[in-house]
Amino acid sequence: MSSAPLLRRILHGRGIWPAVPALAYLFVFLALPMLTLLAFGFVTIDRGRIVADTWTLGYLEAALADDLVWRLMWRSFWVAAVSSVLTLLLAYPVAYLFAEAKGIWRTLILVAVVSPLLTSALVRAYAWIVILGGRRGLVNQTLLSLGLIEQPLRILNTDWAVLIGMTQIHLPFMILPLLAVLAERDRRLEEASLNLGASQTGTFFRVVVPMSVPAIFAGLALVFAVSYTNFIVPQLLGGGSYSTLAVQVYEQTIVVLDWTRGAVLATILLSTCFAFVLAIVAFGNRLARWNESAA
Amino acid sequence: MTKNLAPIDRIGRVVLGVVAAFSLLLLVAPSLIVVAISFEPRGFIAFPPSGFSLRWYEHVFANRQLTDSVVVSLWVSLAVAGITLALGVPAAFASVRGTFAGKAAANAFLLAPQMMPGMVIGIASLFFGAYFAFRASNAMLILALSVFCLPFVIRIAMARLAGLDPRLDEASANLGAGKLETFVRVTLPQLGPALVAAAAFTFIEAFDNVTVALFTSDVRGRPLPVELYYLVQYDSTPAIAAISALEIGLSFAIMLVLARTVGLERLGR
Repeated sequence: MSSAPLLRRILHGRGIWPAVPALAYLFVFLALPMLTLLAFGFVTIDRGRIVADTWTLGYLEAALADDLVWRLMWRSFWVAAVSSVLTLLLAYPVAYLFAEAKGIWRTLILVAVVSPLLTSALVRAYAWIVILGGRRGLVNQTLLSLGLIEQPLRILNTDWAVLIGMTQIHLPFMILPLLAVLAERDRRLEEASLNLGASQTGTFFRVVVPMSVPAIFAGLALVFAVSYTNFIVPQLLGGGSYSTLAVQVYEQTIVVLDWTRGAVLATILLSTCFAFVLAIVAFGNRLARWNESAA
Repeated sequence: MTKNLAPIDRIGRVVLGVVAAFSLLLLVAPSLIVVAISFEPRGFIAFPPSGFSLRWYEHVFANRQLTDSVVVSLWVSLAVAGITLALGVPAAFASVRGTFAGKAAANAFLLAPQMMPGMVIGIASLFFGAYFAFRASNAMLILALSVFCLPFVIRIAMARLAGLDPRLDEASANLGAGKLETFVRVTLPQLGPALVAAAAFTFIEAFDNVTVALFTSDVRGRPLPVELYYLVQYDSTPAIAAISALEIGLSFAIMLVLARTVGLERLGR
């Protein structure tokens, strides 16, 4: 068999062949590792090896009976939820402005939105430490010199710092899907609404916002997921004693080296994350359908 | 139309404008502040900086551990960009042009890594390696980061491929070009900008990534993000600002190239 027909089949066939290397790669380096991660939660691990005949549901049951796990999960949840909503409130006006803007303004807005994506989350977390931290922090310096406060505010190492950092770092993820939808929207509906005597503000809330519901919920689901599983921002901006479910997964795996516990918590983190994201998407779909039937 | 606005509309416009301006400031200010701080001549961070000096840049370049970690990160990122392009571009062809059974499932699996947090991919790789007695190493980091970055390449290549006119390929074939010639001289040049974008995006992502790297990278010869992570956690000298400013500079240089070749609007999708 010569190699020419094979090459031809790979280049121009309609078959699965070109995707086989990638699929195989993901099977070996994603699917199998994920199965290992799942399995490690149900066995005793000794120096990275499974100890034979130790299969048990005990570790999972212990984690689910642990108050601390539920408290951390609750904090992960509300921080992610609040930060997703904040992100939406900050992102929507930017996306709307982009859709209205022309020429150089469009480019400038786009650069402002994309450029944070190109700087690492670590660098931006460091920036927030500088801005929020201590008496020398930018926020406290400004407020103190303006005489608005007498004592420096304690923002770093609190929930506030974590919320601020997460919201800023994930803002582009919310703006980008909205940007695409708002810029390419059909404006005839708005004109009709205005011609029929509705105010611009009324038109904005009754025509433009409902039209972008799918993008809003796509953004919410994405930002919720990345916030819920983010362990860098809580560690750096929340301080040493601040913990979330994701932080616990990191600490158990890397610091405490209790891999079974790490595997159990990672499994809980991932499955609850999927459940919340599915709920957000389902709610968004229902709202979009309700909009259509109301229109 | 916008001349005689009702009062509520005027308030609405102002609120919208103010919030948008605040968001845009929020997006760019932290990076700018970091760059400003990096020129601080004194030994602690302050904003605005008390003067202008390059002392912390000299400090960074004189720090062997840091410069070594930059070299490690450059190699890792290049390897990841190479692997993901080699795997992702052919896969995108099958995803867009293929008509095989189970295509939807294959596409879903190809994009599956984007639903996984970096931390989970990192831990899963660490455990999987340990099962075969492989320790965390930069080879493991490259393999795991390639999983993490593969969807970026596939999505960018798919978007471009879907926009190509298949009639050009047919025209090429009708004019007597072979399949291979058509691919090299017609299809590939049209894909070029998208491939550059995919490679650049993957490179930056791999260079900046800390969530996968913390779990899989070598203890000796750590990549830059891991080195930086430990630095930030225990210290806040202007040296960190200098490294950050260099990272920001690198990313911007790459973004400029991207803006020239493909346009920024395509990046987010």
